[in-house]
Amino acid sequence: MEAVNIQFAPATGTEEEWNEAYARLADYFRSYQLHNRIRRTQLILETLRNAAKAHASDPSRTPTAHSIEQARLMLREWLGSIYSDLNLNEAQLEATGRLGFHLAGGPSRWPQFFLDEQNMPDDMAEAMRSAIRTSGPGMQVSKMTPRDIDLGMFTDVADDTFDRLGRHPILRYSVLLVIIGAVLGYLYSLFG
Amino acid sequence: MSAPIGSQTANIAMTAGMPPKHISRTRRATFFSLVGLGTIVGAWLSYIFLSENGMRIAEWVLLLVFIPLYYQLNVGFWTALIGVWLMNRHKPDSLSLWHTLNADDYEQPITASTAIIMPVFNEDVTRVFEGLRSIYLSLEATGQSKNFDFFILSDSDKTSQWIEEETAWLELCRQLNAFGRIFYRKRRKQINRKSGNVSDFCRRWGKRYRYMVVLDADSLMSGALLTSMVRIMEKNPGIGIVQTFPKQIAADTLLGRVMQFAQVLYGPPFMAGLDYWQCGEANFWGHNAILRLAPFIEHCALPPLPANAPFGGHILSHDFVEAALMRKAGYAVRLLPTTRGSYEEGPPTLVDMLKRDRRWCQGNIQHFWLLFAKGWHPMSRVNFLHGILSYVSSLLWFLFLILATYLAATPTLHVQPQSLLAEKILLSVTAMLIFLPKTVILLDEVITGRLFKPLKLRLLTFVSSLLDTVVFTLMAPVLMVFHARFVIYTVIGKSVSWVTQRRKIDGGINWSEILFTFASVTLLGVAWAAVGAGIGVKLGSYAFLVWISPILFSLVVSILVAVLVSGGRSGKRLGFFLTPEEYDPPTVLKNMQQNLEEIKDRIQLPPELERHYGLMQVCLDPFVNGLHVSLLRRRRTIDVSHTYLEEICHRLITQGPNVISAQELKALMHDTDTVTNLHYRLWSAANHELAPFWATAIRQYNLASTSPFAHTLAKKDVE
Repeated sequence: MEAVNIQFAPATGTEEEWNEAYARLADYFRSYQLHNRIRRTQLILETLRNAAKAHASDPSRTPTAHSIEQARLMLREWLGSIYSDLNLNEAQLEATGRLGFHLAGGPSRWPQFFLDEQNMPDDMAEAMRSAIRTSGPGMQVSKMTPRDIDLGMFTDVADDTFDRLGRHPILRYSVLLVIIGAVLGYLYSLFG
Repeated sequence: MSAPIGSQTANIAMTAGMPPKHISRTRRATFFSLVGLGTIVGAWLSYIFLSENGMRIAEWVLLLVFIPLYYQLNVGFWTALIGVWLMNRHKPDSLSLWHTLNADDYEQPITASTAIIMPVFNEDVTRVFEGLRSIYLSLEATGQSKNFDFFILSDSDKTSQWIEEETAWLELCRQLNAFGRIFYRKRRKQINRKSGNVSDFCRRWGKRYRYMVVLDADSLMSGALLTSMVRIMEKNPGIGIVQTFPKQIAADTLLGRVMQFAQVLYGPPFMAGLDYWQCGEANFWGHNAILRLAPFIEHCALPPLPANAPFGGHILSHDFVEAALMRKAGYAVRLLPTTRGSYEEGPPTLVDMLKRDRRWCQGNIQHFWLLFAKGWHPMSRVNFLHGILSYVSSLLWFLFLILATYLAATPTLHVQPQSLLAEKILLSVTAMLIFLPKTVILLDEVITGRLFKPLKLRLLTFVSSLLDTVVFTLMAPVLMVFHARFVIYTVIGKSVSWVTQRRKIDGGINWSEILFTFASVTLLGVAWAAVGAGIGVKLGSYAFLVWISPILFSLVVSILVAVLVSGGRSGKRLGFFLTPEEYDPPTVLKNMQQNLEEIKDRIQLPPELERHYGLMQVCLDPFVNGLHVSLLRRRRTIDVSHTYLEEICHRLITQGPNVISAQELKALMHDTDTVTNLHYRLWSAANHELAPFWATAIRQYNLASTSPFAHTLAKKDVE
């Protein structure tokens, strides 16, 4: 394993800002399920050093923002070397690569080679490439067109009626009230 | 009839599976003669009684209402009795689909390609995928799973739900090594609900498969039954749809257990009876069935109905219509009486049952349009009519009781012996129609031990049956009021929205929901009882009040009944309402239940984070984010502008997910670039730039999620 270089002296930014960046990077790399703490520390420091350079040239952004951006660039570069033969845009490359790393069992099998372009084992690259998944098999498109059902004359009349009632809620409730009124009136007349 | 796929096997008639016309006609003539005779006798007796002093208009109306109710009673009565007769006769039914398979057929490898599809809509992710796992493993155990593919067809519109479905799909495929066998598809737009989802599958992948097995989100089917269904379809190219009898399982409330007990005890004779007279024109119930895909695609696409929802528009109860269309195309639709291997879950509470019935009611009432359409097989019309009647009969019963109340208040003297005799016979026959099927089925069970061999269990079944009579007697009037209300709502234009069906009670009894739902029913019961008492005071006789008291009592105590049946005291400890699936669970059910038990309460997070867990994962977890983006369709153009998405993103990051609408979140989650960038923007933001939700989420995510894909599924890696 490569020796851990703990040298880190940013020219810009406060100690508090860099501590926040460190904590965020630690959480970020942990979300990759990298349980190898030494490798995680190596990555954090490497990323922080890159971020420190970036912050020196653009101090308007926070060290945390620079750190995550550097991590993203490192990831893209690393994935680019694995999936160079596939025609993927940036979003697809990152998505495919991250998923591929998980499906290939990267976090448990090759944690020490994560983002390590120089020492990448062939079987790891191959496992990541072959782990590309799609959600469905190849389509074989069919036409499924509804055929008209001849609902008959009765239905035409009912259709018109309901259409009219549907467009005029007042009419609809009036009809209902008339029916209820008629029934009540009839009952009243019977009782009377 | 176009040549069906699936008839490649030599020496099989293309119409095999379609019952011969002379048998179907004889059976229907017998059945409907008995039903018709029973209805005519009932109507005649009723007329003799009512007409003693001449018929008033109210009495004519009462008679008119009485006839369809009595018809329905007769249909149930004769179906059950014929079913019991079929189950007890030595000679097997000549039309039974099981007899089309011989011992050799079970030895043959299955070569037909079959898609098992499961449309889901905001369902419990763990239940869906653990159910699917059990089915998959059961199918694998048959050694015939090679040509079966599984599809989860999601219409879920909640973002967290959607993400959890994706992660569960990936994890299940990984655990079972089933990539390329289990597929996940999320529709961007939920056009035409479930039927649209199924049609969408047919259009995209239908050509790849000869058969399609449709499952509900709560369905469970054994591999043995699935392979048998495919074999039956292979041997019977004249069949378009085979519908199994899904038994209810996994209930934990009194209502659920009573329903599943009743279904287990009374269901098989009813199924056998239905199969007897429906023959090749049975119904499709929308799930736990196998369909021949080529004719389904060609003939069963659903056109919209005239007028607007709820009476018209998109067809809600699509299954009946699809069955009718399949039959119209010349293919048989058959029932497959089954006692094991096909399962589903029922609603846990009375309120949930009513919500489901509201949807079903609207769907069935819509079929009114199709009743008079041209080209249907007459039996398809009968099926539509029975579907409509199953809800309209509640309104008719309600009217019957109102008219009976009115007639009780304005009585005429019945003194002629003929009239009094007619009344007595009518009451006796009606009681027989209601209670005899149940009694016969119960005796059949006690004598034969079809469900349980041990005598103790048979006796418990006997007692349980008496108890379920009490529960159903208490519930029936309440259901009558609600169903009558649903019919009226549908006719006056109150539509239902598409909501997820609840299958388990989470937490305790929801008192406010019950009070709100049933208070009006209690008031109705009280008011009706007051009217009955008033009639009694006026006439000096309380005979009417006594006659109607069981119904009024049920209405008055409806709140208590709803509470009682929705609770967890279901008599299980005492051995009541026991079903064979509870006593000796089949492997497919046992596996699922063990896994569900293992997964219980796995995530321990603050409620706020837990509610948005899927969203939190897709935003923070690099693998889940990658999975989601990978599964999104690659589109050149998007429907919404980047400015709009940017604005939502900003609000999501700075104010948290509670200020974002479901629609906005959905738009966000459909854009690959936005979802990818959101992941980095959240991780890049300084603590003070983040909404408190995200600040907490970032701190807690790694602690809570030791394995981002496994939280919804049991850990069962295939070795």
